[in-house]
Amino acid sequence: MSQAALHGGDLLDMADRILRRIPAGREAEVTATRTASALTRFANGAIHQNVADCTTRLRLRLIGDGRAGVAEMQAESDDAAAALVQTAETVRSQAPPGEPVPLYAPDGGPDAETGYGADTEAVTPEQRADHVAVVCGAARDRGQTAFGACETGVTMVAMASTTGLRRSARHSVAELIAVCRGEDGSAYGARFAAGVSDLGVEDLAAEVVERCARNQRAQPLEPGTYQVVLSPYAVAEMLEYLGLMGLGGLALSEQRSFMRFGDPIMSASVSISDDVTRRELAPLAFDGEGATTRPVTLIDNGVGRAVVHDSVTATRAGVATTGHSFPQPNSDGPLPRYLCLTPGEGSEESMIAGCERGLLVTRFWYVRPVHPLATIITGMTRDGTFLIANGRVLRPVRDLRFTQSIVGALADVRAIGANRLASRGYHGATLAPWMHLGGFTFSS
Amino acid sequence: MRDRAATALDAAVAAGAAYADCRVVERTVQSVTIRNGRVNNVSELEDAGTGIRVLVDGAWGFCGTQRDDPAGLEEAARLAVRIARASARTPVARVRLAQAPAVTATYVTPVSIDPFSVTLDRKIDLLLAADAAMDVAGITTRVGSLGAVRHHQIFASTEGSCIEQTIIETGGGLDATATGDGEVQTRSFPNSFGRQQLAAGWEIVEEMDLPGNGTRIAEEAVALLSADPCPSGRMTLILDATQAALQVHESCGHPTELDRVLGFEAAYAGTSFLMPDMLGRFRYGSEQVTITADATSPGGLGTFGYDDEGVAAQRTLLIDRGIFTGYLSSRETASQVDAPSGGTVRAESWNRLPLIRMTNINLEPGTSSLEEMIATTEHGVYLETNRSWSIDDRRLNFQFGTQAGWEIRDGRRVRLVRNPLYSGNTPEFWNSCDAVAGRAEWRMYGVINCGKGQPGQVMHVGHGAAPCRFRNVAVRPA
Repeated sequence: MSQAALHGGDLLDMADRILRRIPAGREAEVTATRTASALTRFANGAIHQNVADCTTRLRLRLIGDGRAGVAEMQAESDDAAAALVQTAETVRSQAPPGEPVPLYAPDGGPDAETGYGADTEAVTPEQRADHVAVVCGAARDRGQTAFGACETGVTMVAMASTTGLRRSARHSVAELIAVCRGEDGSAYGARFAAGVSDLGVEDLAAEVVERCARNQRAQPLEPGTYQVVLSPYAVAEMLEYLGLMGLGGLALSEQRSFMRFGDPIMSASVSISDDVTRRELAPLAFDGEGATTRPVTLIDNGVGRAVVHDSVTATRAGVATTGHSFPQPNSDGPLPRYLCLTPGEGSEESMIAGCERGLLVTRFWYVRPVHPLATIITGMTRDGTFLIANGRVLRPVRDLRFTQSIVGALADVRAIGANRLASRGYHGATLAPWMHLGGFTFSS
Repeated sequence: MRDRAATALDAAVAAGAAYADCRVVERTVQSVTIRNGRVNNVSELEDAGTGIRVLVDGAWGFCGTQRDDPAGLEEAARLAVRIARASARTPVARVRLAQAPAVTATYVTPVSIDPFSVTLDRKIDLLLAADAAMDVAGITTRVGSLGAVRHHQIFASTEGSCIEQTIIETGGGLDATATGDGEVQTRSFPNSFGRQQLAAGWEIVEEMDLPGNGTRIAEEAVALLSADPCPSGRMTLILDATQAALQVHESCGHPTELDRVLGFEAAYAGTSFLMPDMLGRFRYGSEQVTITADATSPGGLGTFGYDDEGVAAQRTLLIDRGIFTGYLSSRETASQVDAPSGGTVRAESWNRLPLIRMTNINLEPGTSSLEEMIATTEHGVYLETNRSWSIDDRRLNFQFGTQAGWEIRDGRRVRLVRNPLYSGNTPEFWNSCDAVAGRAEWRMYGVINCGKGQPGQVMHVGHGAAPCRFRNVAVRPA
């Protein structure tokens, strides 16, 4: 028995059944989402939390007489469908008239399932436990203790509307996170993929135990501005915050974004895109209003080119939506989902060799915006921070707090790695390489 | 609902569970958002399902299902048992549960006005009035929101507990954002993170007077655009009660979670600097600092009758006049320090495993007042309303930013300052506390975005707090 055994009927049929219940004279959009996920969590070298669930969520947006209402249910019976329609109509009838966000008309985009792996859907609790056992065993062999989580999940989304929209697609996620701790220090590593077979469990285990062995008995380092060699984990976190703060159409229209089209914004070696075609990011083909998600070049050789849009911000800007909407209506506006930093030619080794004095940072932690317009963020280093001197890793250093403008940091890029790693993001996933930056400010 | 619980527990035992509990949950969440004078969103979410947790051979398994038919519940129970058995593929540290009595009980949040009985018309009219009040020159984005939650749950266990609870929450809030001259400034009321929410009824929204505060926060947001940057240096810091609440949350609430101390969260949320041998000895803060975990505080988002392991709500001293005295604990973690459970286990909904979560972590009132603190400060800043927050994984090194600040000179607020940040080390900071305002200025606040666990769970927690003062703190502008 797998998680799939908990599944009910076909989601698109369910969406159609709800549409058939819509009162005459109303426009309606139905979104049915089913996620079957499981997560095996380990601490102190043993599995300590081990869970699975299957959740179906139905969402109905109803528009009529200039009024809009939304109802949502986490259920999938016909009774639930009837109650959903009734609640949405009640909410709609009590809303004041206005200018509701129009329903999206079908754009003919393909329901590609680039980000779906059947192996992930078929994975068993025993297989997840075996992945965990590999990490725990590797740690034990080096006198370390392992912590982390192995997650697998499949999400199917179906949308249907009175405008003729009718589409569905699946995507899957597999993620293995590992933290190993020695006597006096720890290390982090993670792998993310659409297919559980692509995780590279042994490689991850080897990476983390090796890093942990090097990150013992860290010594304090004076805060200040240092060159940094950032691992893909840290680069991905930085990209995510850049996207959250300034790469969406709403932030731009409300003057909250750093973006200036046509202007050099950062180093000419930096190109950033949102690329729904990358299978390793486990993408979904369409967005929360049913628009096909399209690849977007955001920063091109350091020059600002575009932001992502939903239908609302696209209309306001006089362009086409890029398919980055959350379910409408919403207050968040569109956000990037599949950020990719174009690779360079460097490697971790060549960047360290090219760094006279700086810090090698494995991971950022608890990052928060401090000044969104200036893209200033703060956070801590964690699970592996090392001092580089004269092109060699000298010793581990204690974690430091940084307070730094992302755009400012990306203005001085010394090198970009050739290989990239996929990491789970806040609303999708991110593809990031190693980076060597000329200045990064650590405040305490 | 009780039948569903019985079916799930019977199936778990039949499949081999030595212990099982389950939560049958029905939950309704209503939200209304107004943005720039228009209704942005009116929505209602209804959610129902069952979470089944089992112990097999000393290991946990959990499965959540939306199916409410016997076959569906039995299938989920069997999957929970299979998952628990799979856990044995790594070495198992056998789970022991601290003793807890079997309980049959009911609990309902006391409310004067059920928030779901208030019409949407009335809610929208209130927000539109507040929106109009925020419509002053220079404001580019105005957002108002109201929220209501009804969480109805049956908890049952193979030890014989059967507890029915209904928790009701109500909240509301405003944000006014001004943009210009390379600055973006937001002021919120009564709190940031979208709204102030309590375990209470519609009466708390009426008490807020959202329309009456709209113009003030809008004018403050505009004034912040041209305000001087916050001064820099080590100085006296006075926090308003909302920021004090978040300071307590991050630097007192999370580090006292015993699962973090035992490494359960080491790969994600982090660990803690508070080791068990520090109990009763470690000076966490000054004599002014007493902090409790109180699941019985009226109105708190962490107020309930029983936690999600069926343990009765209780009040625990975490820090007693500066000395570290207690943890937030579960039956599993408490057994590892030979203590009874502190009754602080909570799950976001039916499809999530219950974890140690904050209840209401309260900074107990002192004897001072905000007016007295300012009057007796030679040079410093008074900071209001959180804007950013970050703390390391052991909960020692923190940095907070607030929406607004006022410089204090010779006992008076002399000017508004923008983009203030302060940073510090947890025990050094709390040991520098020399005043906490008294009961008259003590309020209960709600945090509705507390994240923890994998898969992630967002919990609603409470903090009673009052304005408080700290000496010799590192302050600077962003």
